[in-house]
Amino acid sequence: MTQAVLRTHALTKKYGGSCALDGVSLAVYEGDIYGLVGRNGAGKTTFFKCVIGLCRPSAGEIEIDGDTGRLSVSRRRTGFMISPSFFPYLDPRESLEYLCRVKGIAPAGEVDRLLGLVGLAGVRKPFKSFSLGMKQRLGIAGALLGSPSLVVLDEPINGLDPQGIIDMRELIKNVHAQTGATLVVSSHILSELDMVATRFGFIEQGVLLKEISHQDLHARTKKSLVIEVDDVPKACALLNAAGIEGIAAKGDQLVLQSHLDRAPWVARILVSGNIGLKGLHRQETTLEEYFMQLVGGGHGD
Amino acid sequence: MIRLIRGEFYRLLHKKSTYLYFALLAVGYFLVAFVRSGGFTAQSVVDDALNAFVFLPVLVGGFLFAAVYTDDLNARNLAVLVGFGISKTKVVLAKLVCAAVLNAAAFALVPLFHVAVYALFGSAATTDALGSVYAVAFKFYLTTVAFSALSGIVVYGLQRTTFAVVAFVLLAFNVVSGLAASLFGLIDPALRDHLIPGITDRIVSGVVFGSPVAGALVEYIAYVAFAVAVSAVVFHRKEMEF
Repeated sequence: MTQAVLRTHALTKKYGGSCALDGVSLAVYEGDIYGLVGRNGAGKTTFFKCVIGLCRPSAGEIEIDGDTGRLSVSRRRTGFMISPSFFPYLDPRESLEYLCRVKGIAPAGEVDRLLGLVGLAGVRKPFKSFSLGMKQRLGIAGALLGSPSLVVLDEPINGLDPQGIIDMRELIKNVHAQTGATLVVSSHILSELDMVATRFGFIEQGVLLKEISHQDLHARTKKSLVIEVDDVPKACALLNAAGIEGIAAKGDQLVLQSHLDRAPWVARILVSGNIGLKGLHRQETTLEEYFMQLVGGGHGD
Repeated sequence: MIRLIRGEFYRLLHKKSTYLYFALLAVGYFLVAFVRSGGFTAQSVVDDALNAFVFLPVLVGGFLFAAVYTDDLNARNLAVLVGFGISKTKVVLAKLVCAAVLNAAAFALVPLFHVAVYALFGSAATTDALGSVYAVAFKFYLTTVAFSALSGIVVYGLQRTTFAVVAFVLLAFNVVSGLAASLFGLIDPALRDHLIPGITDRIVSGVVFGSPVAGALVEYIAYVAFAVAVSAVVFHRKEMEF
């Protein structure tokens, strides 16, 4: 197992009577793009605020790079973007040079590298006249200053138009490929995170419901062919004889993970074998459906 | 903390509206001097400094206060600084150092500008007059720095731009010290000397006339230290919002 760059132990944050985070224990490993998925108000931003030190946890522990004691030092090696925050009158270069001075990083080379990476090289207008997409890009550049080992990005695709979402997705992939940083990215849109993340954590009402790898997530959201028949063992034998494998029987249903595009052929085999075919349909659990099942239905934000 | 101060100076020197604001202020001052130049006397250069410099804490100190402190609130930069692992106490101290240095630069240049403009309109200053003009500027510099430190409590405690600016303006227009002086006057009029305007008067008198200054200096430092300490405490207690 690779080393955990970020680990929380029963992290809890209470505001008065309400619990924004309730015993969140998760681990982000070196090289991960960790997708933190949850609806608005689920606790994603509160989690990030605790990690980067903007609010004090009510209970629990945070471990960055294996260090729990001197978090202020560890946090200096952590980049973050929780809504892009820059001075409105500074242009992208000036904004990053300001942050370089504050962080004690030599701006020569670093600023050019990052502006090039996020596609803002040559932009001279002030931050206040940026589009949302440009602000998000500059926010990511700011988060990457000094080549941090852990980068936290809160809702980087929030509010972007479709092209902006595609660009941001590519940018996150590029950043990961070029810097090798461990990324923690939050969103309430699972299908978008699915295209970039390697592991997922699902959070709802402050509770971490599940951690799952990209591979396992897709195993749970596979498409299948569901066949309802009057004689399950005989139908199963017929299909096996026709070379179809991996058949799962469930009540009067057979579930096939393969041959999804050959439903007519499968139906002919069963009918010609005198099987009573009561129904046949494709079933697909989308990522959204999986997410909604996990968080318990469609009740409010 | 040095890094933060360097960063702050970098951004403030790249804030173009600073140059525009001070250019407009200079033009306005020049025009007022031009209008008044018909009635200049030998004492005008000092008397007018006494009258005009009253507004420096608001016009110069207020702008610099907004640039140093409230720009951070508008840009949500305090959260960025804390997220970088910079301690809140260091942020409070660095901001006050920036305010003190920038105000020192401004309050050092204003008397020179004043004397130069008046000389241009025929009211040249003697060395003594220049010293007096600088003494007036020094008093208002001290009050501006103290007011910046005190308003910092509102900046860090409430983290709302409007409240912070209103607090500074109320202090700079002596509304707060006026109310306090009235209140103290009911108890013991001598207490008024221990408010910021009274303390800065005593310090400047000490510098100019050689009267004892140590007590006033200690009181002044105590005010600023109190403001810094309270700012740091309220900042530590305040959770950062994005």
